[in-house]
Formats: sequence, structure tokens, C-alpha cells
Amino acid sequence: MLYLELLFQGIVQGSIYALIALGLTLVYGLLRILHVAHAALFTLGGYLGVLITNATGSLGLAMAVSMVVVGFVGIGVYKFAYEPLLSKPPFIALIASIALFIASEEIFRIVFGPYGLSYLNPPLQGSFELFEGFYLKYGEALVIGVSVLMLSILGWLSMNTRMGVSWRATVLDPDMARAFGVNIQNVRYLNFFVGSALAAAAGVLVALLNNLVEPTMGSVPSYKALAIIVLGGLGSIRGTLVASMSLGIIESFGTIYLGHFLDRDALAFGFLILVLMFRPQGLLGAK
Amino acid sequence: MTIKSKLVIAAIGLSFLSTPVLAENIKVGFNVPLTGFAASDGKSARNGAELAVEQINSAGGINGDKLELVIYDDQASPKEAVPIAQKLIEKDGVIAAVSGSYSGSTRAAAGIFQEAGVPYISAFAIHPEITRAGNFVFRTSFVGEVQGRAGAKLVGETLGLKRAVIITLKNDFGKSLAAGFKEAAAKFGVEVAAEYEYSIKDRQFGPIVSKVKSDKPDVIYASGYFFTAGPLVSQLRAAGITVPVIGQEGYDSQKFIDIAGPASEGTIITTSLDRDSSVAETKDFIAAFEKRSGQKSDMVAASAHTAIKVLAAALKSSGSKDRAALRDAIAATKITASTGEISFNDLGEVQKSVQVQIVKDGNWHHHSVIDDAELLAPPSK
Repeated sequence: MLYLELLFQGIVQGSIYALIALGLTLVYGLLRILHVAHAALFTLGGYLGVLITNATGSLGLAMAVSMVVVGFVGIGVYKFAYEPLLSKPPFIALIASIALFIASEEIFRIVFGPYGLSYLNPPLQGSFELFEGFYLKYGEALVIGVSVLMLSILGWLSMNTRMGVSWRATVLDPDMARAFGVNIQNVRYLNFFVGSALAAAAGVLVALLNNLVEPTMGSVPSYKALAIIVLGGLGSIRGTLVASMSLGIIESFGTIYLGHFLDRDALAFGFLILVLMFRPQGLLGAK
Repeated sequence: MTIKSKLVIAAIGLSFLSTPVLAENIKVGFNVPLTGFAASDGKSARNGAELAVEQINSAGGINGDKLELVIYDDQASPKEAVPIAQKLIEKDGVIAAVSGSYSGSTRAAAGIFQEAGVPYISAFAIHPEITRAGNFVFRTSFVGEVQGRAGAKLVGETLGLKRAVIITLKNDFGKSLAAGFKEAAAKFGVEVAAEYEYSIKDRQFGPIVSKVKSDKPDVIYASGYFFTAGPLVSQLRAAGITVPVIGQEGYDSQKFIDIAGPASEGTIITTSLDRDSSVAETKDFIAAFEKRSGQKSDMVAASAHTAIKVLAAALKSSGSKDRAALRDAIAATKITASTGEISFNDLGEVQKSVQVQIVKDGNWHHHSVIDDAELLAPPSK
């Protein structure tokens, strides 16, 4: 029973990692930029989720508005921070991204205060018995449900719509895609919109599980998501999903059985080193 | 010239002589995290310290001179705290300083102040090494081990619970609390069934919660700050764990209750501030703090307030601008402050009783007091 619960906790954590890391891998796949400031959008999503839920009482509305607003902010980040630097070496954009991320923590602190925010009436706090002796919290069930739903929708869109096909074509070969009349600019906007919206959804869900959003809530995702996309094979979406789940589950068991020797955060990097020793291209990366 | 006009001239001359050359402010340094992860505690600490300064100045200051805080943001980081300590000593020429910050930065700064012979009071940083920097360094809060021992007594004797699981925040704060708890546990008949550790960045405790549930303890002794303890307690309760959770002064904020919501009810902590105190200093502080800052008082605010009051009392009694005399005066200070009766031992550690508070109806309230001088004796060397 304990192992089952730990496995389940790992899947919950893995789902959150997946939502966050996917945006990062989308950006890397398209632009070869390590988008550290992605974690700031995750934080912004969490703040908007709590503020809107407290104002309207509807978590669903909060989730939707937060995703749309943060999606557009993501486009703004691309437009104003990355686009002017595209002709420069990629580390210049990385520096810009780190600067943006550091500044964002202090901006959140100035705008929303240093104490963090909580839901006034935390939604979905109860739990239900899935089977004999195994309780599932509504919030955790929602995390898994939302992740599966969003990733399925996204997968379907990328395979079955014109926009999806042009996005995949651009990732594969931007010059060829342009030659075939794909509007690269729109693909990039879409890319940032979708990635940022997923991060916002993760922010709202994490806020729900912790009942706390704070200026520094992006600091762990900022580097752990980087580890995940390297682990998955940079730019590989399937690899990112596999890496997110593996890491969630490893952390869950590691916290209990290795916690005295290895920090939870150290586990991620230990796993990363181990995988890269044998598969330098990542779990599912192309050689 | 008539006698009358001579008198007038003399009077004018005299009046020039007796006019003070603008009262000199007494500068006191204050390092506090105003940005970064500890900014929330920093803001409370700053409000508490500023309140103390306002109260002292409006009551006539230090023998007529006004007290002035020189505040720097140390981000709770040792590498910020060192240059700040040097700046306070050399550029600002402070007579003494107070730390409204965590152990890392306070410990780094303590050595600098000691070397320069500038008295330094740690308001709520708990690392045992801080006061060992030397005889110019004092502390007005408990070291972690002392509070951990008080926790063991609370669990074993006051509550009569036997089987404890410890959840430890993996930093000097959590580790020293756990060490004190484990040291005294056997004495009060408490068995430590298991111990788990988490990092200060963790907010999701799913795996630990699952494991604790399977351990079936009578009581959970969990160290942390309100921003880790709030999520932890709410996740323990959501998983159906109903045994008492014992925390410490890191929980001591209204924000803990905001985060954990109804799950916070019944949480018991060892701390320095008694919300239902009948002591005038404590009641005054709680009322004045809420009026000034618009938020409920907490442990860090009360501790910063206490540290400034201790310094002011010593400045008054030493009467001079001499730092060595001020040091001796702090060592001899005996006052009643917002966090209780304050006096120091030979190492500069505070000697006072531990307040036990419980969450009832969405507020911190009095539970009991642990007043066992032998158990609470701070390290003296």
C-alpha cells in the first residue's frame, strides 16, 4: 500500500513537471534557446489563479483566464526578449532569460508582497476512497486529469490540424518550412503561447496543492525543468514526458529511502548524470 | 551702554551657548532580508524594529538623543552580510547592531562585529555558533537545541504522547531543533519512530506524508517556517492524519494559519510570543504592532522589537558612547520585553521561558509555558 501511494505521489509530481518542462522543450526544439524565464510564467500563472479564484470563486475560470493571459505574456517574452537576440549566439538569449527570471522574482515581491498568497476558500481539499484503504485527494486527481487532458489535446492538434503540421515542419527544418509557405513568425508565437499556457496551468495546480503562491515558487522548476529536458533528450517531447514521470517517481521513493544521504533536488541531477553517462543523447533523444 | 542693554547682550550670548548643536542621533545597524526567499520574515522584523525605535524616541529617546536605525538588506545571505557589517562599522559608524535575519547571514556578520568590538544582538537567528564569535555578540532568542528540548518536554510530559515521528527541515534551524528534541526525548519517555528530512524549497510533501501515515505515530514533531509548515500541515491533514503536530517559532505567523486554513486548528508550537499574555509589554507590543503595520504580530517582529529594546536599555544605563561600556551594559541587562523576561548568561545567550501556543478558531492562543531553568539552560561556552 505504501509503495502504491509513493508511486501515485510520484505520478502527481511527474505530471506537474511534465506541464512545466513541455513549454521549455517546445522553445528549445524551435529556437535552441534555454528558456529559464519559463519558470517565471509558471509563478505568474499561480498568482493569477489564486487572485482570480479569490475574486470570483471559480477555479475553472481562474485556470482558463490564467492560461490565456500567461500565454500572451509568453508571446511578449519572445517578442521583446528573444526575437531581438535571435541572430546572436544562443548563450546571449540564455543570459537575457536568466536576468528576466531573477528580475521577475523581485517584481512579484513588489507587486504582490513578500508574504505570498493563499486561496481564501481552498477548493478541492477533500479526498475520496479509490479502493479499499487508498485515498485520493481531489486536488491530486485534478493534477493528473488536467495533465493528461491537456497533453492529449495538444498531441491531437499537432497531428490533425494545419497549424499543428506547420509547427512540426518548422521544428524539423525551418528553412524548408518557410519555403513551403509556412509563416514562421506565427509558429513561434503559437509555440510560446502553448508552452506558457501549460506552465500557467501547472502554476494554478501547484498553488492548489500547496495553498500558497510566493515570489520564489519558480526557483526549483527553473533548474529542474532544465534537467528534465536534458534528460529527455533536448527538444524531444516524448522524452520530456518520460523524463518528467521517471523523475517524479524517483524523487517520491528517493525522498523516503535516500532522504538522509541525498537531497530531493540532488536526486534529479544524480539521475541526470547517470543517464548521460550511458545515453549522452538523453532518454529518447536522437543521436 | 546701559546696564539693561548689557544684560540683553549677555542673555543673547548665553542663549547661543546653551543651544544644543542639533541633538546627535545614535545610529544602530540593522541587517534584515528585504528581498529573496526570506523577505516575508524580513518585512515583519523590520516593522518590529521600527516600532521599537518609534516607541523609544517618542518616550524621550536615549537620555535625550534620538535612536536611528541604519537598515540594509542582507537577503539572508552570508555573502551579503559580510560587506554590510563592514559598511555599518566603517561608513555608518554605528554604536551597535541588531540582526533581524537568519542564521547564515548573522553568523557571517557576527565575526566582523566581534573583531571591530561593536556589540551585535541576534534577534531570532538560532545557530549555536553565533554567540561563540565572542563576547560582543548576544542573542535574545533561544538556540535551536533549547527549543527542541522544550518540544520534547511538551510532547512527553505536557501532552503525554509517546511515539513521535520527526520531520526535519534540512538547514541549521531544523537540524538543531531535531537534535535538541532527540537529546531530551528519552528523558520524557518519547520514542522517536522515524525521522524524515526536507529542503527549504520543498512545498509538496506527498511521499513523506504517505510514509508518516504508515508509521502510525502518536505525534509529529515537524520543524519549518510558516511557508513550508503551512503546506506540510495541510497535506498531513488532507491525507487523514489526525495526530497532533508540534511546531516551533518558525510557524509563528498568521500566514501559517492562512495557508493551512482549517487544517491548522490544534497545531501546537514552542515560541517566544504569548498572544494571550497579561504582561503589559507584550500586550502593548501586540496592539501597537497591529495598529502600525495593519497585520497580526508574529515571532520575528516581537524578537526584533525585543532586541532593539534590550539595546536601548543598555544604551541608557551605560550613558556613554563607548562600545566596551555598552557591551558590559548589555551583558548586565535585565528587562521585561515583548518576548518575556530577558537576561543573558556568560556566553550572551538569553535566559527566558518558552511560550507554547496553539491554533484555535483561526488565531494563535496560549497553551502553556515551559519554565524549567535546567532544561532550558542555553550553552554557556
